Amino acid sequence: MMERSALLKEIQAEDFAVYEAALYLNGHPACADALAYYRCHRDRAAELKSQYEEHYGPLTLYGNRDCSCWNWVKSPWPWEKEAN
Amino acid sequence: MWIYDRKLQYPVKIKNPNARYAKIIISQLGGADGELAAAMRYLHQRYTAGHREIIGILNDVGTEELAHLEMIGAILYQLTKGLSAEEIKNAGMDAYFVDHTAGIYPVSAAGIPCDMKYIGVKGDLIADLNEDLAAEQKARVTYDNILRLVDDPDVKDPIRYLRARELVHYQRFGDALRIAQDRMDEKNFYAFNPEFDKGCGC
Repeated sequence: MMERSALLKEIQAEDFAVYEAALYLNGHPACADALAYYRCHRDRAAELKSQYEEHYGPLTLYGNRDCSCWNWVKSPWPWEKEAN
Repeated sequence: MWIYDRKLQYPVKIKNPNARYAKIIISQLGGADGELAAAMRYLHQRYTAGHREIIGILNDVGTEELAHLEMIGAILYQLTKGLSAEEIKNAGMDAYFVDHTAGIYPVSAAGIPCDMKYIGVKGDLIADLNEDLAAEQKARVTYDNILRLVDDPDVKDPIRYLRARELVHYQRFGDALRIAQDRMDEKNFYAFNPEFDKGCGC
């Protein structure tokens, strides 16, 4: 398992690629190359996020894997240095 | 960061446009107790709130306020869609129309643009949470007043939903205030700012 901040950095990179593709696709909705790029990074982002939430806690309100604790309020918030 | 969810939090489907209703409901977009001010208040207070549970409450209520801002935008959009300039004039919305046409711009019912002067970020948990409790009650009163002035069930239904959320937010900020007070050193209750001073259990 990748270390938390390294894994987070990869997720940020994949999410950025998805977002960048989405902005472009809004103006070019039939571009096959951009759609392929979008699919590739979207799938990779989903895979990495699943790993992250399994080991390090939720990234969204839907990612609390722990049945016995609401970990949403247990880890550092994104603006804390330790979260980055 | 945020990702957009392509749905309203609660449906808005208004059959009959009515600029007169839009003219008053717009206060919940850009008024002092409106949804934009609410979102900005909580989302800026959250950074220094210290206790992670209280940050969670501020973060998630603040995020929900953005969803409410969108619902008010949807209500205003549907209330003004397809109206003629004549109908807008007869409804008394001509002063807004001349500057914004049928665009959705955050102003109060009296036409004053939204201003960060409406919100407080004191950087003191007790002061900020008390402001938040008051803000939720003031927003609830504004929705009460809208319900007194509107008689279209298509409009009243989402407005009632938004009113109910103000009550829930008030309760959650009550939880936050209780958490903050429980963790303070009672002997120094008024001497410490839990967001700033060390040694008070934050």
